[in-house]
Amino acid sequence: MLGVALYLVFFLIVVTIYAIVVMGLNLQWGFTGLFNAGVVAFYAIGAYGTAVLIGPARDRLIGGFEMPFLVGLAGGMALAALAGLIVALATLKLREEYLAIATFGIAITIQLVALNFEALTGGANGLIGLPRPMFDLFATPGGYNLFYLIFVLAVAVVIYAALERAVRSPWGRVLRAIREDVTAARSLGKNPTTTRLQAFVLGSAIMGLGGGLYVGFIGFVSPIDFLPILTFQIWAMLIVGGSGNNRGAVLGCLVVWGLWTASGYVISNAVPPGLQSQAGAVQAIIIGLVIVLTLLFRPRGLIGEEDVVSAHARDDEVTTPQEEIPAQQGQ
Amino acid sequence: MPRTNFTALAAMAALAAGGVSLPGGAARAQDQDCQHPIGAVLSLSGSMAAIGSAIGDAGELAVEHMNAAGGLLGCEADYRLRDDQGQPSVGVDAAQSLVEVEGAEILLGAIQSGVSMPILSSVTVPNEVTQISCCSSAPSFTELAREGGTDGYWFRTLPTVRPQGFVMADLANERGYERTAVIYVNSDYGLSLARAFEEGIEAQGGSVTDMVPYNQEQASYRAEVSQALRGDPDSLFLVAFPADGATAMREWISLGGPQNLLLSNALRAEEFVSAVGAQYLTDAVGIDNAQVEGPSVEAFNQSWEERYGEPPAGPGLHTMYDAAAVGLLAAQAAGEYDGTAIRDAVREITGPGGEVIHPGPEGFARAHEVLAEGGDISYVGATGPIVFDEFGDVTGPYLIWGVGEDGALTEVETWQVERVNELMAATGG
Amino acid sequence: MLQALADGLLTGSIYALGAIGLTLTMGILRFANFAHAEMMTWGAYMALGVLTLFSLPTAPLGPLTFGWPLILATVIAAGLTVVLALIVDRFVFGKLRGKVGHLTLVFASFGVALLIRNLINLIFGGRAQYYTSELQIAVPVAPGLRIMPDQVVVFATAIALVIAVHLFLQNTRLGLAMRAVSESPPLAQVNGISLARVVRWTWIVGGALAAVAGVLYGVSVQLRPELGFHLLLPLFAAAIAGGVGNVIGAVLGGFLIGLIESVSVLVIPAGYKLAIPFLVLLAVLYFRPTGIFAGTTGGK
Repeated sequence: MLGVALYLVFFLIVVTIYAIVVMGLNLQWGFTGLFNAGVVAFYAIGAYGTAVLIGPARDRLIGGFEMPFLVGLAGGMALAALAGLIVALATLKLREEYLAIATFGIAITIQLVALNFEALTGGANGLIGLPRPMFDLFATPGGYNLFYLIFVLAVAVVIYAALERAVRSPWGRVLRAIREDVTAARSLGKNPTTTRLQAFVLGSAIMGLGGGLYVGFIGFVSPIDFLPILTFQIWAMLIVGGSGNNRGAVLGCLVVWGLWTASGYVISNAVPPGLQSQAGAVQAIIIGLVIVLTLLFRPRGLIGEEDVVSAHARDDEVTTPQEEIPAQQGQ
Repeated sequence: MPRTNFTALAAMAALAAGGVSLPGGAARAQDQDCQHPIGAVLSLSGSMAAIGSAIGDAGELAVEHMNAAGGLLGCEADYRLRDDQGQPSVGVDAAQSLVEVEGAEILLGAIQSGVSMPILSSVTVPNEVTQISCCSSAPSFTELAREGGTDGYWFRTLPTVRPQGFVMADLANERGYERTAVIYVNSDYGLSLARAFEEGIEAQGGSVTDMVPYNQEQASYRAEVSQALRGDPDSLFLVAFPADGATAMREWISLGGPQNLLLSNALRAEEFVSAVGAQYLTDAVGIDNAQVEGPSVEAFNQSWEERYGEPPAGPGLHTMYDAAAVGLLAAQAAGEYDGTAIRDAVREITGPGGEVIHPGPEGFARAHEVLAEGGDISYVGATGPIVFDEFGDVTGPYLIWGVGEDGALTEVETWQVERVNELMAATGG
Repeated sequence: MLQALADGLLTGSIYALGAIGLTLTMGILRFANFAHAEMMTWGAYMALGVLTLFSLPTAPLGPLTFGWPLILATVIAAGLTVVLALIVDRFVFGKLRGKVGHLTLVFASFGVALLIRNLINLIFGGRAQYYTSELQIAVPVAPGLRIMPDQVVVFATAIALVIAVHLFLQNTRLGLAMRAVSESPPLAQVNGISLARVVRWTWIVGGALAAVAGVLYGVSVQLRPELGFHLLLPLFAAAIAGGVGNVIGAVLGGFLIGLIESVSVLVIPAGYKLAIPFLVLLAVLYFRPTGIFAGTTGGK
């Protein structure tokens, strides 16, 4: 029984890390309506950024700055935010889907950089021997995992609370206003580009944070941690739970990742080995179906977006951000 | 896919037949109601799926043999194979549940270094479980072991690629190639082998014209091939896996590249030869880890053929069998099913000294007897004699192979371990 | 260098074919279709499926590696790809069109792309396949330049199709209607153009071109389920560089991307080749967001 509990702790760490990434995506898509087709890129940038900053120094590497873990996390977030800024600046003033295309492009590019820029990323060999924060303080791996679970849970709760506050704040209402009707928002004196930029960059930074937390947990990073399928997995988590709702996003993580690992378990036990080579394709097809069918038949996901947009106005149905002038959105 | 279907059928047939085909021991193992789970994490789907399931069969065969020989520590060894889908996060999850939930103290795998490494650093080392890989060749494991990051829980039965590169360099020299271009798969394996080859060539006073990496699973490698052809090479060292390798090789030949070809171990596959066309490969030589000739290899080949109905062809089969066998015999010698005890016993049951044990139920049964009497055993496996160094690595003999006009893979010569070591010493490898 | 230019033109001609369909969907249906490149994969595999199913002989024509059977298979594959495109439109895009923001359409296409790719993976397996095991040796035509007969045919086919599409859009009533919708859907409807008909024909033209482009790519390299996935970025870059909705622009964009990609590997490591279209795309978006060839007359 202890074994199952220990495994659950481990499982929940992974789910929580994905939940953080999904919350970042939710800010971009669920609340602002920005389509990010390269989630894995920002996750990877955060992971590599953290790894380079905290890793041990080695002769053939540029990185290995041996910094404290929290500094590494912050650095990874900053780099992911920077990458978000670059694609957002190029695309946000233009047609909306250009952002989707550019993020798709950055995902491919980051994969290539991870693989080819050996001096920084360790190339295909990856970066090894990365310190796991406070690992030596714990006598057993189970104890350490429990500590790490509490740590990532705390981070997730902080992000959850901050995002909930942000989306209920005047700034958050501007986000939804833009998502629903750009022209109306603009006519009310909101600058959609700046607000979108803020939301996108913030979302990217949160995804980067998820990557950094993953590195701290695994102690290793390599290009195959960031396969394109991860983007689809994260999207499925968001859309199953219901975009525009952070609780739904977290629930979606639990359901999708649980099913994903369980399906691997079932397949490896029930399907003859000869047919298992196609099992990956079946899993991917299921993910694709989940995305398409949810969009068609249950666009609000399992939980869906709450209709309440303001803590003060519980009966408010639609996004009407006229009562307050948000301070954050500039101009 | 007739082969894989057949494997599935064979597995079912074996299940139906129960212990009938196995001499006596299986019945004994079935009486025992206790089980020791033997964990294995391999790529059964994803990019390595083509070789993964056969490798899984090799591990299963070793476990079956152990059970036929009387089980493991008075219990049945239970093989629990899990898929990593070629994704590290999935592999780590599988390893974690094998170790924590199912209680495996031996973990076999994974195939890709990028999966084995996170399992090692976040599952097996912290949980003090012995991990033995059949197939992960990255030099970073040696590096991590040197830094003390593996706590000795890491072993691999696949020789590291470094000596391979030096042997290939020697071969290029011997054949009079002066300007060799290198095209290599941009993975830990390809990078390490290409680097070692370049070092070996330079140690012999030569140089390579171009080192061109290629990314896996692209539709075309024309740009890479053109780049490699720029230096006007007289020969090519191709480090690749069969499918991509065939693409690159076809383009190399189409673009008029010389047919003086040096091929890496993973290309020793029918799939590669038939995709490229045997007529273009008659001047090619390749290298592979030698299936050392001898009774131990024969014993493995024979029992594989009995079990699966065809000769064991394909990467990772022999090394996977040995990975499983080493883990099982070490556990038996340790006297308890515990990762740390198993780790400490690994070197006791391999290397010279002690009674030689071969693969197969008879060999394992003999191992049980010797160990029960308090004697020493020396496992000589499907890959021949095994000696783990302090970092858990092995050096092995190499086989030089070629392609006949009918497309059959031929054996040109064998480099014994002593010769490999001599070469490494002479060239500073 | 000469070789790089020749290779670039060849790849570019295939990009051009694919980008036409993409730019038409972006212009007429007004969303970036992430599943477009998967239609190329689908077309290429359908041709393979036809060849295997009827065990057609290779029957090479002259110095080529393929013959009439493949040409026949390509025609059937183009039909099957059109069917796929219409089915997807009927059950996914058509259901969403008009009801939700067009970004949801983009998202749906993203999911559809994953579906098609893995469906192919499931049916045909993940390994590389070829239409024929014949191997062509490139003929030296000039110092430092080798060309395969297949490449000449691929290039010529692509150019011929590009011209045909151009004439179709310029000179037929349907082409005119498509261009009108691309300019302004409400205005086109006011003028009595059936939107549904234009949408249908956009899928027919785009799907058929994608299938042919997929087969040509398969002839000149190989078939893989990821074929389309890797082509998507160059196609988007070509369509955007050419100015969205501009067919001639997309063709020029395709050649541009092909050439830049091919020449760039002379100076940067080939490992980064796939990122080149992305850099071109970013540069275009920063400096000429309406497309490099926005001024050209043509399909627009």
